[in-house]
Amino acid sequence: MTAPSPEVLALLEVTFDAAVIMDDRGRILAFNPSAEAMFGYRAADALGRNVSMLMTGQDRDHHDEHLKQYLASGHSRILGKGRDVLVRHRDGSEFSVFLSVGRIPNTTPPLFAGFLHDTTLRRRALDTLENERQLNRLYLDLAQVMLVATDREGIVRLVNQRATRALQKSDAELVGIHWIDHCVTPDDRAAARTAFRMVLMSETDEPQVGEYRVRSSNGEDRLITWRGVSLRNARNVATGVMLSGEDITDQRRAESEAHKALERMNSVSRLATMGEMAAGISHELNQPLAAIANYAQACVRLLRVPAADIPEVSGALELIAGQALRAGEIIRRIRSLVRNEDVRRESQDINELIREVHGLLASDARVHDGRLALDLMMPLPKVTVDGVQIQQVLMNLVHNAFEAQGAEHDGAAFEVRIATRATDAGDVEVSVSDLGPGLAGEAEQKIFEPFFTTKATGTGLGLAISRSIIKAHDARLSYRANQPRGACFYFVLPAHQETPP
Amino acid sequence: MKDQPQTVFVVDDDDAVRNSLRMLLKSAGLHAEVAASAQEFLATYETSQPGCLVLDVRMPGMSGLEMQHELNVRGATVPVIFITGHGDIPMAVEAMQHGAFDFLQKPFRDQELLDRVQRALVRDSEYRARLRHTDRIRERLASLSPREREVLDLVTQGKANKMVAGDLGVSQRTVEIHRAHVMQKMEAGSLAELVRMMMVVAP
Repeated sequence: MTAPSPEVLALLEVTFDAAVIMDDRGRILAFNPSAEAMFGYRAADALGRNVSMLMTGQDRDHHDEHLKQYLASGHSRILGKGRDVLVRHRDGSEFSVFLSVGRIPNTTPPLFAGFLHDTTLRRRALDTLENERQLNRLYLDLAQVMLVATDREGIVRLVNQRATRALQKSDAELVGIHWIDHCVTPDDRAAARTAFRMVLMSETDEPQVGEYRVRSSNGEDRLITWRGVSLRNARNVATGVMLSGEDITDQRRAESEAHKALERMNSVSRLATMGEMAAGISHELNQPLAAIANYAQACVRLLRVPAADIPEVSGALELIAGQALRAGEIIRRIRSLVRNEDVRRESQDINELIREVHGLLASDARVHDGRLALDLMMPLPKVTVDGVQIQQVLMNLVHNAFEAQGAEHDGAAFEVRIATRATDAGDVEVSVSDLGPGLAGEAEQKIFEPFFTTKATGTGLGLAISRSIIKAHDARLSYRANQPRGACFYFVLPAHQETPP
Repeated sequence: MKDQPQTVFVVDDDDAVRNSLRMLLKSAGLHAEVAASAQEFLATYETSQPGCLVLDVRMPGMSGLEMQHELNVRGATVPVIFITGHGDIPMAVEAMQHGAFDFLQKPFRDQELLDRVQRALVRDSEYRARLRHTDRIRERLASLSPREREVLDLVTQGKANKMVAGDLGVSQRTVEIHRAHVMQKMEAGSLAELVRMMMVVAP
C-alpha cells in the first residue's frame, strides 16, 4: 500500500484549500487542517474512512463505482478538471465547493488528491444575483405594460412577456433585432424613429410620450402608447432606450364605438325631437306662407282696378318680402338642427343663441298652450360652444318643461323661463325653469339616466344626451328645485378666455 | 228696415297673418275688423253685429275652439270659418262638430277664403232676415185683439167664415169684419200667405 510522501503531506498542511488524499479504494489517507475546518471532522476521525462520507447525492452513491471504472479503463470525466459539487458537513448540512481532483503521479496503486475550495459565499452571491434577476424578470413580466429596452442603435436588448405576447415573437427572436425596422408597423416607422431620437436626446427624466402601432408576427397591428426614457451611463452618455408601451387598441376601439353609439343616439333623438315638434314647426312655417299668399292676392286685386293704389301695393310687396325672409330664417334654423355635421366650437354670445331658437321654442310653447319667457342678463362674457348643440339642449329642456306641465295646467298659461346670468366666478349660467310639478325623490335621482322617463311616450334619452353634450363642453347639466315651485335644469359654461395676441 | 253693414271679423295672434287677411278682405271690398286674441275680440263683440268670423284654431291663451264654445254659450249665431295649420285636421273636425261654418287650411287661395266668407255672410244675412221677418210677424200678431186672434186661429185651421161664426157664437158678418182686420193688420194678401206666416212663428 502506498502512502503520501512527507513532502506532499507538508504541502497539504499549509494549503488554504481543504485537501484530501485517498487511495484506490476511496479511503482517506490525508485530511489537512483546512479540511478539518471545512467538514468538522478531525483528521484522526476521517483517516481510513471512505471519502464518500463527505459527498452528497449521486456523487456519494456512485463514487466507488466510478472509481472502479476508472481503474479498469483509465478514463475519467473528473480527473484533472474542476467542478462545483455539493458536499456534506459532519453535522449533516450541505454546502457547495469547487472541487479539483488529480491523480498523484508515480503512485501505484494510484493515490488521488482532491482540493476543495469553499464556494458557499460565491454561490450565495450568485444565487442572490440569480434570484434578483428572476425577480426582475418577474417584475418585467408582471408589468401590465410592454417593456422594451434597446441600445442606442435601436437593437432590442430586453423584452418582457407582454411584449413577446403582443408581438407573437419569442424572447430569442426579439433580442438582437432592430426594434423599429422589424416590430413597428411600416406606416408608423417614421413617427417611431422621430420618437426614438427624441427619447435619446432628451436630457430629463420625464418620459417622452408617443403613439404608434406595432405589428405582430401574424400581421396584426396593435396601437400602443409609448413612454420612453433614455438609459445613460456614468458619463451621462445615452446608451439606449427603455420603452414602456400600453396597448390602447381595444380601448380606442371601445371609445370609438361608444362615440359612434352616442352620435347615433344623438341623431335618433334629434329626429324624435323633430317629429314631436313637427306640428309646431309646420305651424311656424305656415304663418309667413299664409301671410305671403294673402298679401300677394290682395295686391292682384288692388291692381285690377283702373286707378290702383300703388303705395298700398308696394307696401304690401315689402311685407311679402319680409315674410319670405321670415320663412327662410325658420328653414335655416331647422336645417341647422337636423344637420349632423358642423360640430364647431366658437366663441359665442349665449343670449344670441337663445334668441335664435326663440321662434321655434315659442311655437313649441304655442302647441302646449304655454308661454316662453326670456330673462337674459346682459352683457355676459362669451362662451366657447357648439351653438347648434347648445340650442339642441335648450330645445330639449324647454320641450320637457312644457311636457311636464301635465295636470297642473289649470287654465292659466303655463310659463317656461330661460334665464342667463354671470356666476360669482365670472362664468355663464344658463337655466330652464318651469312652474310644473317638479321632480319627486326617485325621479330626481334618476332623471339623467338613459332610458329613464316620466313621460308616457318619452324615450328617456333626451336628458342623457343633453347631459353628455354639456359634459363635452366641460360643464355639467344639473337639476335643482325651482322657486316657488317646479323644476329647474341648469348648466354653467366656462367664460371664454381671451388669448392675448 | 235697412241692414247693418256686414263685418268680417278676423282673430289671429300672428301679426302678419292678421294684417294680410285684413288687406285681402279689404281688397275684395269687404269690411274687416281684426283682433290679436280671443279675449280681445270677445271684449268688444256683440252678437247683434252682422257678419262672419275668421278664426285661427291655434292661439295662445284661449284657443279658437274655446272661443267657439264661448260664442255658443253667449247665443251668438255668427258663422265661424276656422283657419288651421297643417296637422290641425282633428281640431278642425271637432270645430265642425260644434257648429263651425267651414274651415280652411293655411296657406289658401284668396278665392277659397272669399267664397267661404261670402257664403258665410249670405248665411248670416239670411238668418238675420229670417229673424227679422219672424220678429215682424210676432209684432203684428201682438197687435191683434183677442177676438181677432181667435178668428185668425180658426181661419188658418181651414174653417169657413160660417163655421167660425158658429164656433165663436157671433154673426157671420162680424166674423167677416174681424177677418178683414186680421188680413190688414197681418199685412197678408191672401189666406195662404197668412198660413205661411203662422207656420214661421209656430212653436
